[in-house]
Amino acid sequence: MDVSQYLEIFIDETSEHIQSLSDNIMALESEPDNKDVVNEIFRAAHSLKGMAGTMGFKRMQHMTHDMENVFQEVRNDTIKVDSDMIDLLFQCLDAIEGYLAIIKETSDEGTNDNEAIIQKLNGFLKSAEDASAAEAAAPAEEAKAESTPAVGEKKFLQLDLEEKDKKKIREALDAGQKVYGMTVYICKDCLLKAARAFLVFKAVEEFAEIIVYAPSSQDIEDEKFENDFSIFFTTEEALDKIVAAAKSVSEIEDATADAITEEFLEDAAADISAPAVQEAEEVTDTSTAPAAAPASAPAKPASSGNSAATPKKQTGKPVTGRTVRVDIEKLDALMNQVSELIIAKNSLVSLSANNGAGMQNQTYQEQIEYLERITTGLHESVMKVRMVPIESVVNKFPRMIRDLSRNLNKKMELIMTGEETELDRTVVDQIGDPLQHLLRNSADHGLESAEVRKERGKPETGTITLNAFQEGNNVIIQVGDDGNGIDTEAVKAKAIERGLVSPEQAENLSQKEIIDFLFMPSFSMAKQITDISGRGVGLDVVKSNIEALGGDVEVKSVYGEGSTFTVRLPLTLAIIQALMVIIGDEKYAISLGSIVSIEDIPITDIKYVEAKEVINMRGTVIPIIRLNQLLDIAPPEEEQESLTIVIISKGDKQVGLVVDDLMGQQEIVIKSLGSFIDNSTKIISGATILGDGEVALILDVNTLM
Amino acid sequence: MAAYIESNDVTEEKKQFIAVKLSSEIYGIDIGYVDTIVRMQKITRVPKAQSYFKGVINLRGEIVPVMSIRLKMGFEDDVFTNASRIIILKIEDQGKLGVIVDEVKEVVNLGEDEIDKPSHDAKENKHSFINGIGKNGDELISLFDINAMTEEN
Repeated sequence: MDVSQYLEIFIDETSEHIQSLSDNIMALESEPDNKDVVNEIFRAAHSLKGMAGTMGFKRMQHMTHDMENVFQEVRNDTIKVDSDMIDLLFQCLDAIEGYLAIIKETSDEGTNDNEAIIQKLNGFLKSAEDASAAEAAAPAEEAKAESTPAVGEKKFLQLDLEEKDKKKIREALDAGQKVYGMTVYICKDCLLKAARAFLVFKAVEEFAEIIVYAPSSQDIEDEKFENDFSIFFTTEEALDKIVAAAKSVSEIEDATADAITEEFLEDAAADISAPAVQEAEEVTDTSTAPAAAPASAPAKPASSGNSAATPKKQTGKPVTGRTVRVDIEKLDALMNQVSELIIAKNSLVSLSANNGAGMQNQTYQEQIEYLERITTGLHESVMKVRMVPIESVVNKFPRMIRDLSRNLNKKMELIMTGEETELDRTVVDQIGDPLQHLLRNSADHGLESAEVRKERGKPETGTITLNAFQEGNNVIIQVGDDGNGIDTEAVKAKAIERGLVSPEQAENLSQKEIIDFLFMPSFSMAKQITDISGRGVGLDVVKSNIEALGGDVEVKSVYGEGSTFTVRLPLTLAIIQALMVIIGDEKYAISLGSIVSIEDIPITDIKYVEAKEVINMRGTVIPIIRLNQLLDIAPPEEEQESLTIVIISKGDKQVGLVVDDLMGQQEIVIKSLGSFIDNSTKIISGATILGDGEVALILDVNTLM
Repeated sequence: MAAYIESNDVTEEKKQFIAVKLSSEIYGIDIGYVDTIVRMQKITRVPKAQSYFKGVINLRGEIVPVMSIRLKMGFEDDVFTNASRIIILKIEDQGKLGVIVDEVKEVVNLGEDEIDKPSHDAKENKHSFINGIGKNGDELISLFDINAMTEEN
């Protein structure tokens, strides 16, 4: 079968299952007795196995199969979850991820059998088997005990079989054959139940002879059953083997089996009266699903059996939003079209503004406003489609911290908030690495050893936090720890030693300026080999990665108390709301998100602090920057009496920008300046095309602070 | 007929160049690099850019940087006239780049035998933007080395 067309879906879904496994195994570690979690893991491993099998990835299937077996035993309480097992399970996950990575590249799973892991898995199973051998000694007795309606899954014990079926079983028993009953549960969302059932029969028939089907084989073939069916078979083989064979069919949720004795037949007969009463209640139930009530098979499972099975299924898949996967290129195309539309709209707006005075046309204006509303709305919708929660990136971090905690032999916990914060897909895809570096940094160098923590009176377990939230047009992600903090004196000494500053200069550096040294390429490396890191991944890489996304990173640190890295990222990449300003005869755009207010300041209100111009606005001293000087524009010929100042902010810092005139607010499409023009100062973050076709540059005011 | 075939064969081996005027000299630009030629239009200055970059223009909704070949080669600054044109080059992996020329003359076909190596020694002049001299009848055409021209000085 050619399955290549399903490969993408397979890859996506496998990643989801791996994530779910990882989350749940983490959860299992903290509460090893939670059966819901175990079931969830079992289900995910099982789905993985089924999918890998369908796609013909035998090694992956093998691995997940063994994982599943282990969980089967955990579910049956024959194995206890311990940290060795958790470690092993994570190794399995890594191995499966390895397969997936190879599949992504070559559409083949590669040749790594991961024998070692599989052997270890089987080691767990073996210990479980030894334990369960004793229990298995008295299966007949158990069967009897379980033939009361209280048994959940073994529905075949409650079936009231037709006389001819009973006769068959009786004959087999009389002939000295071993008879077993089995109930097989098919996944709720399985589409081809009959086909799955058929595969189960085939699998079972390899080892056994099926003598009775309930419902009848005809009904099963016609899919006249709900999510389970039962069979009775005779075999000389071990029961476990047959059950495993039945379960190995994909989309089979579960299969339970047990030996059948004479007593069963008698009990079943005696029980008939009880289920009959209940069946009356069930009529209303079955009327909603007429196809599921096979007329020729009165061997309808008693409702007690049904209700026992339902709660198990309800713990199933968490409710997820309905999603459609869209190729990002298609979205990009849509985005480009929206951009064009906005440019076209802008040119209409400027046209109407130019002719506006004499225009009799009220409706023309209204139509333009209407168009403006539509394009803005359309833009927002398209933007939202591109937004994904950062969850997909950050949810691998708890696992990472757990591993780090073991490797570094430090106790630590990760507290994450705001995983649902959304960012543009492109940004989310690239933010993973920088965040990972920051977290490692915190775990490795931020947090002190247990002894030091004790001395400092801190709790033994270090806390690392990851908080994400939206602030204006930015998304802020903070990575913090309650560890050592940055020793600015040591950094200062290092900077002097490396000749970056003279000792005299160093004395005057602010804390921020000192910390900034850490972000310098060569600096961080040297520092790290000794006492910040050994990985050769410096903060400079983090900084450049984040800046490449149009964001920036800041550090706050108190020595002895911890540090917080604040990553600021733009919410959207392509279209922003901007204030258009005029300086000389040039037009510039300033992102509205960073603007606090616009002030008209009399020239006499400008004061000097350290020979720099500042204004005192409502009690806050704000430095001002004359944009014409910064951008090499000739100053206006005559000195004005007052200055138009745009106050911008980044974090808690504010700066005033002096402009000549304001043009107004506009939605602008950000375009890149390309790679030819040297933009090392980063003052210009891009360009945009105005309504009249003119190009205006976009100021990145973040670089001015 | 025989003559026709012969001439056709020769054309196939010939390379096409756009002959442009800068100051008093004629230069050739390999037509393979040329995306389009546009009239002089408003160029938006980009602060802090290299001095030989005049700025950026809006080419049908695309932002294209515009370079002055004159300034890049160390000549005096451009004087825009009615004949001034911006030749938009398409450079692999780097996108589009406009270059300003005084005038676009014609398209010339030059065969291998009509192109000489530059007369000066390459070692002497590291910043040479010429990688050949074309002979179009009596006229000499300096052929631009586009890669050298787009590199940083």
